[in-house]
Amino acid sequence: MAPKPTPNGNAAQAAEATPSSIPAVVGINLGNAYASIAVYTKEGLAECIANENGERQIACAIAFHGEEIYVGNQAMPQLVKNAHNTITGFRNLLGKKFSEIDQSTAATSAPLIQHPTESDTPAYRVDILQPAPTPLPTSASNTPAASHAATPRSEPTPSTRIFTPQEATTMFLSSLLQSATDFLGKPILGAVITVPPFFTQPQKDALKKAAEDSGVRVLQLLDEASAVLTTTTSPQWPGGAEDRTQLVVDVGASSLSLSVIALRSGLGYVLGSRTTTDAANIGGDALSSLLVKHFAKEFTKKTKTALPQPPSTKEDIRATTKLLLALEYTKRTLSASPAPASLSVESLHSGLDFTATIARMRFDLLATPIYTAISSEIKSLLESISIDPHDIDEIAYVGGTACLPGLDSYLLTSVGFSEDVQTAFSNSTMGSGAIGDPTGVLSIGSALQAALLLAIPEESPELAQAFEEAEEVKTTSRTIGMLFPTSNPDDSNGLGGMYISVIHKHTPLPARRIFEVEVTLSGGEGDKATKFGFEVWEVEEGIKVEKAAPLPPSSDDDDDEPEEPEEVKTKTTTKRNFLGTLFGETKGTAVKDKTKKGTYTAAVQIEFALGLDGVLLVETRDSKGEKVGELRVES
Amino acid sequence: MAIPALPADYSPPASTSKLTPFITQPKGKLIQAGPAFLGHIRLTRHHDGDFKKYDAATAKEREQALAASGSGNGEEDDLGVGDESEDETLLSLDPKEWKKQDHYRVLGLSHLRWTATPAQIKIAHRKKVLRHHPDKKASDTTATALGLNLNTNDDAFFKCIQKAHEVLTNTERRRQFDSVDPAFLEEVDEVPGASDFKTKPPPFLPTFAPIFEREARFSRIQPVPKLAVPVEGDAKPSGDPNDIKGHEFPTLKAHVEAFYDFWYNFDSWRSFEWLDKEVNEGSDSRDDKRYTEKKNKSERARRKREDIARVRGIVDLCLSVDPRIKHIKLQEKEAREAKKAAGAGKKGGALAAPAAKSKKEEEEEKAKKEEEEKAAKAEAKKAKAAAANAAKKARRAQRAAEEEGA
Repeated sequence: MAPKPTPNGNAAQAAEATPSSIPAVVGINLGNAYASIAVYTKEGLAECIANENGERQIACAIAFHGEEIYVGNQAMPQLVKNAHNTITGFRNLLGKKFSEIDQSTAATSAPLIQHPTESDTPAYRVDILQPAPTPLPTSASNTPAASHAATPRSEPTPSTRIFTPQEATTMFLSSLLQSATDFLGKPILGAVITVPPFFTQPQKDALKKAAEDSGVRVLQLLDEASAVLTTTTSPQWPGGAEDRTQLVVDVGASSLSLSVIALRSGLGYVLGSRTTTDAANIGGDALSSLLVKHFAKEFTKKTKTALPQPPSTKEDIRATTKLLLALEYTKRTLSASPAPASLSVESLHSGLDFTATIARMRFDLLATPIYTAISSEIKSLLESISIDPHDIDEIAYVGGTACLPGLDSYLLTSVGFSEDVQTAFSNSTMGSGAIGDPTGVLSIGSALQAALLLAIPEESPELAQAFEEAEEVKTTSRTIGMLFPTSNPDDSNGLGGMYISVIHKHTPLPARRIFEVEVTLSGGEGDKATKFGFEVWEVEEGIKVEKAAPLPPSSDDDDDEPEEPEEVKTKTTTKRNFLGTLFGETKGTAVKDKTKKGTYTAAVQIEFALGLDGVLLVETRDSKGEKVGELRVES
Repeated sequence: MAIPALPADYSPPASTSKLTPFITQPKGKLIQAGPAFLGHIRLTRHHDGDFKKYDAATAKEREQALAASGSGNGEEDDLGVGDESEDETLLSLDPKEWKKQDHYRVLGLSHLRWTATPAQIKIAHRKKVLRHHPDKKASDTTATALGLNLNTNDDAFFKCIQKAHEVLTNTERRRQFDSVDPAFLEEVDEVPGASDFKTKPPPFLPTFAPIFEREARFSRIQPVPKLAVPVEGDAKPSGDPNDIKGHEFPTLKAHVEAFYDFWYNFDSWRSFEWLDKEVNEGSDSRDDKRYTEKKNKSERARRKREDIARVRGIVDLCLSVDPRIKHIKLQEKEAREAKKAAGAGKKGGALAAPAAKSKKEEEEEKAKKEEEEKAAKAEAKKAKAAAANAAKKARRAQRAAEEEGA
């Protein structure tokens, strides 16, 4: 028996992007504490990449030690012994005047001074060792050599260097760009860099200048909300409907940005946003200081050695810094795994080692003040724009602190989002450099935007220009939907038929939505049935709150408090304005199913186009693309 | 989405209303990022918010982009190798039967065949290996997810690719394969015979030009003269074989003569080692080996002879139906006549009466025609004899070469 020949290959496998189609662009998320870079990988997907030390989250720090310069995470340990030569937190000082800067904050890093030559400019002074010039080559002809040994190099001379925050940024960015160039293996054609929403124009200019000094073409400075939008509307983003309302929670080291965005077929429209830079109560730094307090107490308890918080002596400051550095890893472990995370520091204080573990539960308890602060900010934002938490379809977390699962579960219950809200946790896209991870959202968005801008043809500069200048838009004020009436109107929604939302509230004009549906035809027996139709309505969407009856209290329950009735929220749709009915005629095909013998169906494409002039045009087309029905609604 | 039918007694609500007024939003509310925003500004600024215009423009752009990428404007030029489709029969080739496989087809070069350069072969091979390397299959998760075990005969096609690459990168083996290229053999069968020209002659140039172009690949002497007379300047050669008036007579004659001269002395490298029978495997017998070798050798010689005769046949056929030969003859004859007439005119000196002249002319014309026919016949005979002679000569040379080889 001869076996049937099986194909040895699969021609479909070759659907890979050719190397030439990969745009050589880089997206940079430059935070105050950490930065990340994203490029297009060999697979043609934008991805957050690790630098040559294997770090996706690159600390914004530069340290000078003798002749050496450390950039990134390597510079962080220098904060312990060499703090006065280590520069951190330079991004927020970009473009600021010396007089504007609050001197009380920058404590652990290099001292901020007035620039010696330029007026009202902040600067860092660091001590370095200037490498000595190489000795002149000994000439054999002139003088007889005293010995065969080479002349020893003279010692490097100690000196100081002055860095403005802008120069520090340039230095840091060029190291990031170097990593991206090494990864791609070809020169970078352009970069998009994120800016926080609170940056002023001089600050943006300073950032742009710093980036251009590092030798890259800056395609755009993208504000963080836009970077989030670009990532979350890309086809790579997991889950999510075409039209959805999104809450962006960006928890940085020292700031919190919230925005509610109506995503309408890729277009983002800000319903409301707010930014808090209250470093003492919100963000990663506040969380760290809470944890430091906790562990300092634990250390004192264990070793009977005092480690006062806030630290006063030099040794205490050093111990606190050591603890802070170790805590970064503890926080990451807590985000990544449900097991208790450990913290261990060698020679923390007075030569004593310290090892401790912390479980998620304990950690969340400690972090509750931060969580509460974030939650109340969200609540007040939603209230101010009168949006119910149930209207939020998706929460996009951004930043390292947003990776904490405790924060997510706290927010879900305390703010009262619906159960099927999509987050990075419900999509399980945490960790790794892939697109769903909160730490990479901004850099990936920037890379996507950079590729988009680079692809704009040279001959239409007005398109690139449009990304810079704001413009007015008109948006719809009510949701428009189609209703397919049915004969037995006992359906649950109370609309008398099958309802599909088409153009949602807050959709910018012009808008178009296309649906493919299978309609059952009526108006005759057998193949004489050619008619179909639907109504177009403006509807109002609301939330119905039902109070579920509390459980009957059990007899042995000693709780004094009466249980609060549980609120059950459901989305409702009410018909408001009838816009018209569309009747169409088309030829159908018989249904194969025997139980539905004699029914004819046809595949129909329904297109809703809402033009700039405010005219809604509904058209239906059959499978051949011919028009089989039309409805026009004026505004 | 399945939609229920409209109820039979359905009637729409009586009154309709207009759309609720839109809200004009202040600047900066629309986020200026992402591909959808680019689409939005294109739509509003370039196409006045008209979706139909926008659709047409984007479709056109996509087409242009496709054309640009298709013409090899990309960074990495594949030298026109392209991507050929692979069907089931190709993918299920047996590497054991590698002698029977079409190596160009396996490497996806069937549009280039013998014209493929070594660089193109290298690129095509690399493309195929990227797709069919066994290591790629190991990571083919879709097949494993479906519970298919593709590992049984997994690298068979890869082996075919390697074999094809091995053959086509070796100059000598490539020539052997090109000699018996299946596509060439197929085309050879379609050559019209002498009988085709007797009944209803096909057009001359379009029939013979591709035939000679095809055979030219085997010539040791390159370039090979073309059948059609090369046209100077920008004028394109017309496909009409009777359009020979445009050429100067001497160039035409020289070209045609050179053409037939070349093809009657055609020096071909075509050889038939590829079709050799292999010595029985495992047979240590020296006699067996010698016997097979001897057989192969005589078979090769026979095939070569047949091939020479075949080419000769084509040239003979072409010569016999070439309208240009007739034209040349006519021209030559006219020239001769003119010379003669001029000589006679000088001798006679007297002018004949116009009436008599017309009669004479008529007669002359008649005679000319007859003579022409005769001459054509004789020429054909001569050509045939020459062909036979040349064939004999070639055979002799072949025999001599063989003897030398032995």
